Amino acid sequence: MRPHISVKDLSVQYGALTILNHISIDIPDKKITAIIGPSGCGKTTLLKSFNRLLDLQEGAKVSGQVLVDGEDIYDPGTEMTHLRRRMGLLSQKPTVLPMSIYENVVYGLRIHGEKNKSKLDQAVEKYLREANLWNEVKDRLHDSASRLSIGQQQRLCLARGLAVEPEIILGDEPTSALDPVSAEQIEQRFLALKNQYTIVLVTHILRQAKRLADYVIFLYLGNLIEHGPAEKVLSSPRFVKTQAYLEGRFIEEFPIAAELDLCGGAKQDFPFRFEESLRGLTEGQIFKTLVDNEGLLRQILDLEQGQGHKVLEVRQISSTQWEIIIEKRGIGYSI
Amino acid sequence: MDKRKIEENFFKLLMIFSTLTVLGSLAFILLTILWKGIPALSWEMVTQSPKGGYYIGKAGGVLNAILGSLILGIGSTLLAIVLSLPIAFYLNLYLQKKSRLALAIRFALDVLWGIPSIVYGAFGFTLMLWLKIPASLLAGMITIALLIFPIMTRGIDEVLKMISSELKEATLALGSTRWETATKVIFRQALPGIITAVLLAFGRGISDAAAVLFTAGFTDSLPHSLWKPVATLPLAVFFQLGTPFAEVQARGYAAALILTAMVLLLNILARIIGSRFSRHIIK
Ligand SMILES: Nc1ncnc2c1ncn2[C@@H]1O[C@H](COP(=O)(O)OP(=O)(O)O)[C@@H](O)[C@H]1O
Ligand SMILES: [Mg+2]
Repeated sequence: MRPHISVKDLSVQYGALTILNHISIDIPDKKITAIIGPSGCGKTTLLKSFNRLLDLQEGAKVSGQVLVDGEDIYDPGTEMTHLRRRMGLLSQKPTVLPMSIYENVVYGLRIHGEKNKSKLDQAVEKYLREANLWNEVKDRLHDSASRLSIGQQQRLCLARGLAVEPEIILGDEPTSALDPVSAEQIEQRFLALKNQYTIVLVTHILRQAKRLADYVIFLYLGNLIEHGPAEKVLSSPRFVKTQAYLEGRFIEEFPIAAELDLCGGAKQDFPFRFEESLRGLTEGQIFKTLVDNEGLLRQILDLEQGQGHKVLEVRQISSTQWEIIIEKRGIGYSI
Repeated sequence: MDKRKIEENFFKLLMIFSTLTVLGSLAFILLTILWKGIPALSWEMVTQSPKGGYYIGKAGGVLNAILGSLILGIGSTLLAIVLSLPIAFYLNLYLQKKSRLALAIRFALDVLWGIPSIVYGAFGFTLMLWLKIPASLLAGMITIALLIFPIMTRGIDEVLKMISSELKEATLALGSTRWETATKVIFRQALPGIITAVLLAFGRGISDAAAVLFTAGFTDSLPHSLWKPVATLPLAVFFQLGTPFAEVQARGYAAALILTAMVLLLNILARIIGSRFSRHIIK
């Protein structure tokens, strides 16, 4: 299926600090995609790259591409107001605007030129219902939004975001400031909305990812470690770092015993060189190999099946280079 | 004795002493003005122009200076707002926090803030000679506006700095332009703070004598033209206290009392108006 958002070789840096490291990923259309990973691994940064709120971060340097419906949003000609209204945002802390409940919902419609009173009234009811807030506030629409409870405020933010008729909903840990009942309500809304919207949800709550996600992206220290259908990634992850994270274990870097640089080499001699460097290792030792084309990358990944070696991690380190970390296993090795 | 306890008690005493000094001076000032001013305060004082002698007359009132100060104060505050709001919003929504331009603007404003008002007066006077404007309401207004605009701008700037970045992000995420973000959302959220900054500046402007001495001049007649001199309360106080006659001095205190009451009243009024517009503020 066609991806809705397509991230191609995206890197983000603050000065010398790399926050996102050559991320390439497709976000499927009309599904809930969860971005998981420990605090500080770059989840928010990745999310904010989708609606270019990242531009507000001083000193952030962005390279690579983010395509939304096939259009590169980092193209200088991108009209920011058009881009952003295609994506509703729910932030970690509910942020209502300093106006009434009614004005909060119609804010987006008003700035985009809607003046017709009855249309605005209809929109208020429609979107407050969609956010499951209508019954609680229908008698006090002109009260201050800031007087609502935190949970109601977050649902108001959802209604406000839906009112501009986006195609995508971005949620940055939208339930983390909420009580369990309000959190549950937001989750229910997401499930109800996922047939109409592409939803990208940052969460550090694994159970939430299990409950909601169709697709999962696991980030660690700015690297894309693993991504795939939720049931696959969450129950039988392919890479050890993902396993460690899901089981709540400490994530260790691998002790590299040998390195093999296959960049720029002739393609034919690669199996030979590969075998040769593996031969020098004992079982359980780890080696790292560097490749510079995708064909080669696939071939090596196939080795996992073919020869029983274990691929521990694949990491893109530049627009054309990948690092593959492999643990040597003996032929016929079994656990 | 326990050293930490002595330390604790010492600083407690120091704080109590400072607080009492501040409150004491305020009370002392108010009491002096009240005590010396009330005897001379009369209905004529606030409803009539001076009579019986050039601006140090013993009869009539200071209505010329009351109206002059009000018009001058409000006019220059409005002028200053026109300058301040765009600069403060430019600093906070369009410039990056650490950009050189932002640093330079803030530095310049802080320096301007520190310049004594007599220097503004002299500058205004030079400007008048150059533009061939006589001592007048207009010249006074421009000079006072220049005097108070750094105070106002930095005040608004500090208020805008406090606005959470989440609110800006949430607004921009809905597809707002920066202009819409500034005028429709940030302005509302900052309004109480903006009102405070404007009032501070207004209080400073209406009570300054040095800046209007050469630029606005003084007159016994009521303000009637932008191009004619205008009387102000601080100068009325200054001139009247400077005479050797006890009767006239008492009128000076009465004028000071009127000035203080006006500033107080305007503060209360603006706060009432402000709270009506700020009921939706996010705390
Ligand atoms: N404005 C900034 N300047 C410098 N570093 C930043 C800035 N914003 C975020 N970071 C750093 O980027 C990393 C990733 O942040 P973030 O995307 O918020 O992580 P997450 O959402 O996964 O917790 C963190 O280490 C954080 O310290
Ligand atoms: Mg985050």
